[in-house]
Amino acid sequence: MKTVVLWIGFRNLTGDPRRTLLTVSAIAVGLAALVFLWGFNDGLHRNMLGNFQSTLVGSLQIHRQGFFSNPELARHIEKDAPILAALKAAGVGRWTRRLETYTLVASDSATEGSFLIAMDPRTEPRVTRLGEKVTQGRFFRPGDEYVCVLGAASARNLGVGVGDSVVLVAYDRFGALTAEDFRLIGIVSGGGLGIDRGLVLTPLGAAQEMLDMQGRITDIPIWVPPERLETVTGQLRRALAGRDLEVLRWYDMFPVMHEWVTLHNAFLYLFLGIVLLIVLAGVVNTLLVSMLERIREFGIHLALGNRRLGLFVMVLSESLWLGLAGIAAGVLGGIGLVALTAHTGIDLSLLLGDTQRFYVDPLVRPHLDLRHLGQTLAAVLGITLAAGLYPAWRASRLSPVEALRHV
Amino acid sequence: MNRDKRHLIEVRELYKCYWVGSVPYPALNGVDLRVQRGEFLVIAGRSGSGKSTLLNCLGALERPDSGQVRVCGEDLGAWDDDRRADFRLRHLGFVFQAYNLIRVLSARENVAYVCQLQGLHRGECMERADYWLEQVGIGYLGYRRPDQLSGGQQQRVAVARALATGPDIVLADEPTANVDSKTGRDLIHLMQDLNRRFGTTFLIASHDPAVIQAAGRLLRVEDGRIQGGGVTYRPPRPLGLVCPRPRRPLWERLRLKWREHRRRH
Repeated sequence: MKTVVLWIGFRNLTGDPRRTLLTVSAIAVGLAALVFLWGFNDGLHRNMLGNFQSTLVGSLQIHRQGFFSNPELARHIEKDAPILAALKAAGVGRWTRRLETYTLVASDSATEGSFLIAMDPRTEPRVTRLGEKVTQGRFFRPGDEYVCVLGAASARNLGVGVGDSVVLVAYDRFGALTAEDFRLIGIVSGGGLGIDRGLVLTPLGAAQEMLDMQGRITDIPIWVPPERLETVTGQLRRALAGRDLEVLRWYDMFPVMHEWVTLHNAFLYLFLGIVLLIVLAGVVNTLLVSMLERIREFGIHLALGNRRLGLFVMVLSESLWLGLAGIAAGVLGGIGLVALTAHTGIDLSLLLGDTQRFYVDPLVRPHLDLRHLGQTLAAVLGITLAAGLYPAWRASRLSPVEALRHV
Repeated sequence: MNRDKRHLIEVRELYKCYWVGSVPYPALNGVDLRVQRGEFLVIAGRSGSGKSTLLNCLGALERPDSGQVRVCGEDLGAWDDDRRADFRLRHLGFVFQAYNLIRVLSARENVAYVCQLQGLHRGECMERADYWLEQVGIGYLGYRRPDQLSGGQQQRVAVARALATGPDIVLADEPTANVDSKTGRDLIHLMQDLNRRFGTTFLIASHDPAVIQAAGRLLRVEDGRIQGGGVTYRPPRPLGLVCPRPRRPLWERLRLKWREHRRRH
């Protein structure tokens, strides 16, 4: 089999340029639509997961083994130096330290069970953007002591405002009940982000003092870019093995978010399958009609000494060229559309109203995950090649004499 | 064996039959033929006399029902399709009645194509194409596609293509049938000239008087038998032996049996 048949396959497509153009356009439009949909989908997920992680959770967290499922102060981290060394070795610079436990928040008129998160005011902004969610008052500054920040719903339920005092009651490290007076300096509101209710934030130092946890913490939240998450997790797990610590990714802690993204992607894969079927039908139709019109020509090829395999490859290469041309045009169109909408943004607020409860900003900027782009291109190329198999097989089975007699 | 080698083509008791439904049409009915290198042989006969079938059998395009076909010392009988294709590519050139050029390729690409199939480098193939187009007198039309050429010009491209691979034999089936008489005469003169200059053997099937007149040796085919040309005449075999029924696919056999069964009952 000689490579010239690939070239002849390409030239055959110039025989009926209108049909070729229509087929390439069909592939290109289908692919461009898919690329744009993936871009929108990936942009939406990036936005959603980014917001989810930057609100409170971070990309991954390190705790004492079992702390996440049962957050008791007894499961605290005594010395964080080995962890910080491991973080440095893994090239992680964005981490913070926290102390977390259950508490009862009491005002003059009401009480509310809450989750206390004590954070280091200097390092917390490296990991989360909680400070940006403060709607009244302010967020922590270095040097703050017995001050707290409450969710908007909690503050409303407790009947307190910025400047008022609340009492936090909690069990300390030894199980003794302890209470301290905190001044409310800020109120956070995340819309539907789950931080408005049942959450009280304090500076780390004050909480350590109140809970008899001097120098001790319960977790280290970390931020890493999504593409480094798995690598860093692996590195940290290896480095901290045998130290009774757990390194949990955001989706280990909150699998629902991950499952939602997987489900959403599955819908897109389904859509990809439908588009591929349409492409398959279109290309099979074109190639089959084109093949039936050129039976005599195939007879010439066979008579001149082209082998059956050569003819098979020649017809199959026509679908390869159609696929490549369609992919080139479709990728250009799709990426162009993604780039354009990424620049302008797509405003979902008209469609969804409040989008914050989905952790989504109203203005979604599409972003294409190269993995999804690669999968889609491979699938489209594969399906166009598959579409050429039957016409190619039929052409290769022709008898030269009968084909030459064909009118 | 030595006798075989002297002949470029040696055919013995060649039989070929076509079936239309259940009706047999014997096309070759015991053909014996010997052709020497460098001959300019014309096979004449009316339409349906079997000359094209003979050419197809000699050209390894069609398998005979029985008999032996030796071309260039090779027995083509038992070869598979790929070996036949390779043989055509290495040893044979074809000129068809309907030109049969590849429509998407220019004249020189059409000629170069067969050389490329032989595995030669593209540049060398193009040089050969230019040379042979020059030899057939249309070197200046190399960049035109078949639909931009007249019938005579297309047939000249086909002759150039047939010769470009340096074949032992050129098989031409009614090469002048689709062109006017003057162009036809020019084509025959061209082929005669090429035969003389390059020593290529030409086998031309035609019923065109101009072609018959130009023959170096003339064979007449009638009812699937060669009537002259120094080949021993053999009486035809009984039809039953001449036309063995081809083996039909299982489904087809079942369908016919069912139809027969319905007719009887």
